[in-house]
Amino acid sequence: MTDIFGQTLNLNYGLLLPEIVLLLSSMLVIGVDAFKRQLKVSGNVPVGLALSGLLVALALSILQVNVDEDFARLVQIDSFTSFFRILFIAITLVIIVGSHEYIEKSVSHVGEFYGLLLLATVGAMLMASARELLTAYLAIELLSFSLYIAVSLARSDQRSGEASLKYVLLGGVASASLLYGLSMIYGVTGATQYHEISAVLSAGDTGLTTPLLLGLVLIIVGLGFKASAVPFHMWTPDAYEGAPIPVTAFLSATSKAATIALLLRWFGGPLLPIASDWQFILSGLAVATMVVGNLVALQQVNIKRLLAYSSIGQMGYMLMAIVAVGSGYASDATSAVLVHLAGYIITNLLVFISVTHFFNQTGQEEINSFKGLAQSNPYLALMITAGLFSLAGMPLLVGFFTKFILFQAVVSAGHLGLVTIAVVASTVSLYYYLMVIRQMYLYEPEDGTEQWKLSLTGYLTTLTLFVSLVVFGLWGTPLYAAADAAASMF
Amino acid sequence: MIPIEYFLTLGAILFGLGLFGVLSRRSAILILMAVELMLAGVSINFIAFASYLDTDAFSGLIFALFVITVAAAEVGLALGIVLRLFRERRTSNVDEASDMRW
Amino acid sequence: MLKRIPLPAQFDRIIIGGGITVGAIGVPLGIVLVTLVAFGVISAPEMVFFVAAIIVILGALGCVLLPNIVHAALSLTATLIGVAALYLLLMSEFLALVQVLVYGGGVVLLLLFGLMMTNAQDDPVVTDGSQKPFAFLLVSLLIGTFITLLLSGDWGNPTAHVVPFELFGERLFREFALPIIIVAVLLDVAITGALVNVHTASNDLPEESE
Repeated sequence: MTDIFGQTLNLNYGLLLPEIVLLLSSMLVIGVDAFKRQLKVSGNVPVGLALSGLLVALALSILQVNVDEDFARLVQIDSFTSFFRILFIAITLVIIVGSHEYIEKSVSHVGEFYGLLLLATVGAMLMASARELLTAYLAIELLSFSLYIAVSLARSDQRSGEASLKYVLLGGVASASLLYGLSMIYGVTGATQYHEISAVLSAGDTGLTTPLLLGLVLIIVGLGFKASAVPFHMWTPDAYEGAPIPVTAFLSATSKAATIALLLRWFGGPLLPIASDWQFILSGLAVATMVVGNLVALQQVNIKRLLAYSSIGQMGYMLMAIVAVGSGYASDATSAVLVHLAGYIITNLLVFISVTHFFNQTGQEEINSFKGLAQSNPYLALMITAGLFSLAGMPLLVGFFTKFILFQAVVSAGHLGLVTIAVVASTVSLYYYLMVIRQMYLYEPEDGTEQWKLSLTGYLTTLTLFVSLVVFGLWGTPLYAAADAAASMF
Repeated sequence: MIPIEYFLTLGAILFGLGLFGVLSRRSAILILMAVELMLAGVSINFIAFASYLDTDAFSGLIFALFVITVAAAEVGLALGIVLRLFRERRTSNVDEASDMRW
Repeated sequence: MLKRIPLPAQFDRIIIGGGITVGAIGVPLGIVLVTLVAFGVISAPEMVFFVAAIIVILGALGCVLLPNIVHAALSLTATLIGVAALYLLLMSEFLALVQVLVYGGGVVLLLLFGLMMTNAQDDPVVTDGSQKPFAFLLVSLLIGTFITLLLSGDWGNPTAHVVPFELFGERLFREFALPIIIVAVLLDVAITGALVNVHTASNDLPEESE
């Protein structure tokens, strides 16, 4: 088929099969759940459908690893896309398997919940693959809309609705700001395709430097909200605290990773020719994010809020690497970000799934309720400790390896000052992670030392994540190779 | 003919007034209305650019069409959440819904 | 003989008050604008632009300043219809139509329903946050910066062109088929969201005896 200008359009829907499978299975999950009584199906059918949809989509994405084609010039299926597709599907899989007991118990509208998680995954995948501004914007909204609702689904918890309202209002303002920025980019370049924007901007002076700068600032504000960069992070702790724990895990993993993917596509692609204009803004954001995120985390008493601020701090490290992308080290810095992102996600999921199981047993989420966990459940205490140490960047765990690669890439791009701040911030973070670990190991449990166990799926997911934590920490080559392949197109 | 700058100025003013509404209002629904103003400013920008500068490809018109659709969907979604909050607490003011700090 | 339809007292007040306000602002402005056109200072399309712009800005001011929320919602309608007029000036009839249908018909109605079911139930007058003066200062600075930055660019001297209807549709449905699918899913998400939030969860209801 050709477009109105007579150029050929590649409308090969096979390229989008993973997305299509996820869409269909989400509709199926919601539909089957709505007519559960009439269809006389057991309660496990929705989760089974969701998982099988995810597995099929995962298989299809793995089959497309070597593809490099565009769909109607709107999305590009290349190695970068494949990396993120596999990452996002794996995150959703792990979250659903690891916390389905929590979801059945503490989430209202279970079927819709699974459906929304799948749709959010589709949005994230499209964010990573878009090569045109409109598609990217709609993908952002698909992810955000699904999450606005998912946040509001915690059962009989008043904080949930409040968190969702704050998230949706601030998200709306952020979208408006992002759109104004996009309109400026469009007005200056007259294009919405990434490669056309890049061509116009690298051709030199457009006579419209100031509107372009305005657009750039507004885009960074809008994406800063989505990435919860300081000073646009106000919604993050509340949304994290009010949301059901699996959604919090999803927010800290998929939503962050998708924003990073989009930032890499934009700042490593169409906006790269004007790197000198945005580098200093992003450096400022990165520093503020690292410092504030890690300092405010010190005062938190709720584990979800603590992890929220910790994830804000982690976001700062990755923003720093995007500054490095602008310094002409696009390929190296991108691959470093991808490695760190994968390591961070494995670690964060381990912590969140452990916390989910802790909540299932105790119904508590205060940090001092972790007292004596080492006696009542030594396995879970070990998992949380490993996760927190890896987040802090202790050697032998994946967090150390990936942080090392990330910092090294930023240093070689010539931003030594940024890395110094990052190392200091990272040391501070060790302190608040240790506070949680101290509760678990140095105190006696408050209500006796009754032992308890996880469910089978709980053991399965935490053990898998723990093993990959240690294995990738000692032997990071596969991770590095995958990230390198994904970053090769920059 | 009307210079394009007129439209851009008006878009900026609408965007700013919307932001003012977001910052100064307390009722969630009024904040939503202010967000609509901001989006109207954005749509004016897109359409002005499309019909003045990009008449061959007019991507801005298509962009504006999608912006309008998404904005309408967002209102529906947010109103659902506001109604639920109102049922739980008898208020739709964002600063009274503050079990957690802002 | 026609009987006067009994209207609520408030309705009278709104009509009379609104009429006086519109008249007091509109008549002098109209006279000024027509004089300017007559003397050739501004062109006729520019005059239409100014009329629409004044409606838009006054409506927006009303929307963010009026203490009565129903009045605020109505002045939002004025703004959105004014914006539709601007789209007509920008030669895109289709989007003007969509604007009127979606906003004037759908969104404002939805917002009014929302207001009626929450705030307006007891008392339609709201107080604003205490940060209002600060917000005003910040936003005036911001608008000033925006306009300065926009106008310091060299936009050339372009003129508006009409986009043919058929071309618009053809481009939309050929090239942008994927965004249309995404938007369809997005609307589906929004409906799901509105449903799950206003409905009590089925697993929160007491079990039915079967």
